[in-house]
Amino acid sequence: MLLKRILRHEVRVLSADRTLLAVGLLLAAVVGYGVFNGVSWAAFQRLTLREAGREEAARYETLREQIGSPGEGRGQGQGVPADQVGLALGARYAAMPPGPLASLVIGQSDLYPYYALVTTANRQSALAGDELENPTHLLSGRFDLGFVVVVLYPLVILALTYNLLSGEKEQGTLVMVLSQPLDRRTLVLGKVLARGLVVMGLAAAISIGGYFLAGGPATREGISRLALWLTLVVSYGAFWFALALAVNALGKSSATNALALAGTWFLLVGVIPALASLFVRVAYPVPSRIELVQAVREASDRAKAEGPSLNARFLEAHPELTQGQAEANEFAIQSLAVQEASEAEVAEVLDRFESQLGHQQNLVDRFRFLSPAIAAFEALQDVAGTGAGRYTHFAAQVDAFHVRWRAFFRPRILASQPIRRDDLALIPEFAFQEEPLSKVSRRTLTGLAGLLLPTFLIGSLGMTAMRKYPIVG
Amino acid sequence: MILRIARKEIRDLVRDGRFRWSAVIVTVLLTTSAALGWRSWRELRAEQARAQAEARNDFDEQGEKNPHAAAHYGLYVFKPKPPLSFVDPGVDPYTGVSVHLEAHRRNEVGNRPARDATALQRFGELTAASVLQLLLPLLIIFLAFPALAGEREQGTLRQVLSLGVRPGTLIWGKAVGLVVALSLIVAPVLALGVSVVVLGSAESARTWPHALAMLAGYVLYLGIFLAVALLVSMRSRTTRVALVVLLGFWILNAMIAPRLATDLARRTVPTPSSLQFTEAIRRDIKAGVDGHDPEDSRIERLKQETLKKYQAETVEDLPINFQGIALQAGEEYGNSVFDRHYGALWTAFGRQDTMRKALGFLFPTLAIRELSMALAGTDNQRSRDFAESAERYRRDLVLTLNRDLEQNGADLGFMYQAGPELWRGMPEFRYQPPALHASIQDQTMAWAALVLWLSVTVGLVCRSTRTLRVD
Repeated sequence: MLLKRILRHEVRVLSADRTLLAVGLLLAAVVGYGVFNGVSWAAFQRLTLREAGREEAARYETLREQIGSPGEGRGQGQGVPADQVGLALGARYAAMPPGPLASLVIGQSDLYPYYALVTTANRQSALAGDELENPTHLLSGRFDLGFVVVVLYPLVILALTYNLLSGEKEQGTLVMVLSQPLDRRTLVLGKVLARGLVVMGLAAAISIGGYFLAGGPATREGISRLALWLTLVVSYGAFWFALALAVNALGKSSATNALALAGTWFLLVGVIPALASLFVRVAYPVPSRIELVQAVREASDRAKAEGPSLNARFLEAHPELTQGQAEANEFAIQSLAVQEASEAEVAEVLDRFESQLGHQQNLVDRFRFLSPAIAAFEALQDVAGTGAGRYTHFAAQVDAFHVRWRAFFRPRILASQPIRRDDLALIPEFAFQEEPLSKVSRRTLTGLAGLLLPTFLIGSLGMTAMRKYPIVG
Repeated sequence: MILRIARKEIRDLVRDGRFRWSAVIVTVLLTTSAALGWRSWRELRAEQARAQAEARNDFDEQGEKNPHAAAHYGLYVFKPKPPLSFVDPGVDPYTGVSVHLEAHRRNEVGNRPARDATALQRFGELTAASVLQLLLPLLIIFLAFPALAGEREQGTLRQVLSLGVRPGTLIWGKAVGLVVALSLIVAPVLALGVSVVVLGSAESARTWPHALAMLAGYVLYLGIFLAVALLVSMRSRTTRVALVVLLGFWILNAMIAPRLATDLARRTVPTPSSLQFTEAIRRDIKAGVDGHDPEDSRIERLKQETLKKYQAETVEDLPINFQGIALQAGEEYGNSVFDRHYGALWTAFGRQDTMRKALGFLFPTLAIRELSMALAGTDNQRSRDFAESAERYRRDLVLTLNRDLEQNGADLGFMYQAGPELWRGMPEFRYQPPALHASIQDQTMAWAALVLWLSVTVGLVCRSTRTLRVD
């Protein structure tokens, strides 16, 4: 009851103050700009995927003409050699369309490929391509909603709360308020709640608006992800309110509070992530790709030099590929054998890259608990599907598709069996399977713990210290 | 008098716990980041040199084969790490490290190291440059915001001025004090950095002037922040206001401006997607630039011309190998297409870069970022320069191989085989980075932005001394 009265009073005071209006407008403006940028990026990706689809369709049209129909004179249904189809003419795109919340965080999606052209060539070449982008843009990062939430939103909260009690003390009104029968903890709670409702309400409302403006679907999947997003935004905001409360409880002047809070903000948002990133790289250094480039080349040179003995070994290992046919294509055997031998050799080097990167990610997952900014950053990307999680999921599917692709083409290549008109429909097609929501939410919940734990810890410390808050002096 | 005020200011600062702590933190961060940067530079440098030698060896030892098969086998070249990248790695993690030079194709410089790192790197890395660009300005703000606002708040400003100290003298004294205090923090690390640059690398003769120019840039930049901090402190009634305004200035510069510039530049000067880009090149090579000159008819025309030139009836009668001529003609046609498309792409990137530099007139942090990367040799311009240099080498390589096929493979066609002497005869690929004056000239706009900011802010400080209010 009392709390409600304080709340109402605070809201009235805040709305009389032009600061809140200015801060609210500023927040709305940057959020709007952030969402706008995210939306155009997702649209760019969708457009590119459509163009890829068109390119593939056109290529298949040409291929169909080249094969010719059985009834026509040209080709007489002879078909086109399977190695040409599998390597280039019939290559298919494996695409990862932007997820329902992709417009909210650009995340790592500007760095990782979102489509791959799968051919019978080696596995790593499929995902090796990069989107064209000015490198400085990748270095600076984008102005998206994720950036606004992780970096700017705490500042808005701190700007409204750094003088929660110190401001009233400096004005001399605090003594008057507390001369009423009122616990100072109730007062401070009311103040925090009033500001919290305003700021977090605004952030939530804008997120929801952004989601639907960006064309987010009203499906269960989309709405659940949006709910996760809102939980994260509210919890992350709660942390900064708790921090401001704790700093206020120390009873220092407004200027000191501002200095301490700004320092902590920079520490959590700037210094700790940078230090953590440095530590991760020193602890589990990933070798340079220069090494990989050379390893791939030398492995394939060695395999080529081995010649006939390699071919024999290859045929022995894969009786299923020739299906007992004697007249297997010599050249095809040679190139497949070289491919397989060099891939086996390179796999070791590649594994080292992947395992080091895996170790790094595990360490980062633990470092989330060092800074709520890291926890929020990772979790928001996860929910939006623009982080490492969904990309790894996609890369695994591309790998599996690549295996299917080869399983389709290899026997045909070895048996010199061309691709005919009827075979076209049998060529494997890629369909992206969305990462199951349960997996995403499990990861997100760990991140959420990384937000709520420090919030409760600092909040309760602050509330305890608040009891001894010096009202005068 | 100025010196006396400066001495008092320094003593004040040194006795303050804030100063001591910041000094320790900045020194530790700066030393660690520079040392780790130095270590990784040395490792990468060694690896690059080794890989480059191995790749060349692979090319030389490929045995007897047709020159065109050798052109398909090709050669890998690797981008060298410039020495000053240990101070500012710039865009290096986001540009590729290697490129495959082969016939018919211009490959992208690929393998961006950033893809082998966790998302944490997107918060910004801890490097000597980021300490100098972000942390030191913050330190200046933390130390300087109470300079005059604090004295005003405590009432000591009235006392000091009543003693007959002229406001200008007071301000300059404070400024000198702050500069000396900051130098106390930075000087040890700077000395270390200088000794590393001078003693540690084989190219110190080249590195040295770049390092000096970089230092000059950072002095200008930090001077701007000092002047702004003093200016705001002079004009704010309370320390609280001074701090909030200065923090706002810093956040705008350090956190918001770079990302704002990214999206503004992308929006104003859009670039094609990788798919559109490669498709357009493929189409132009296949169907002719205007779409009316397909590849087949180009080759047929070339055949007729060559037959006429040698007055021969058939290709077999030619005294040279027609394949070599046709391949080279195709190569040259492709090159003209590459030049057109890559030229347009790089022009677009260049316009985006110019836009960011122009925004440096509003946000000095953007100006120093560009300047520092350029002098360290880790900016866009440098990665473009490397790509172009590798492409020129590729064209020479393919030309040499095609010429050999044309002249020596007359009656053998594709059966002709050349030996290792031909492969070994190719000169080494050595990337020559642009000279210092080119790097500096390229950044005229950034230099101008920094100098303008400094002179305007210092001018405003001087003007404000005349109207300094005691309360």
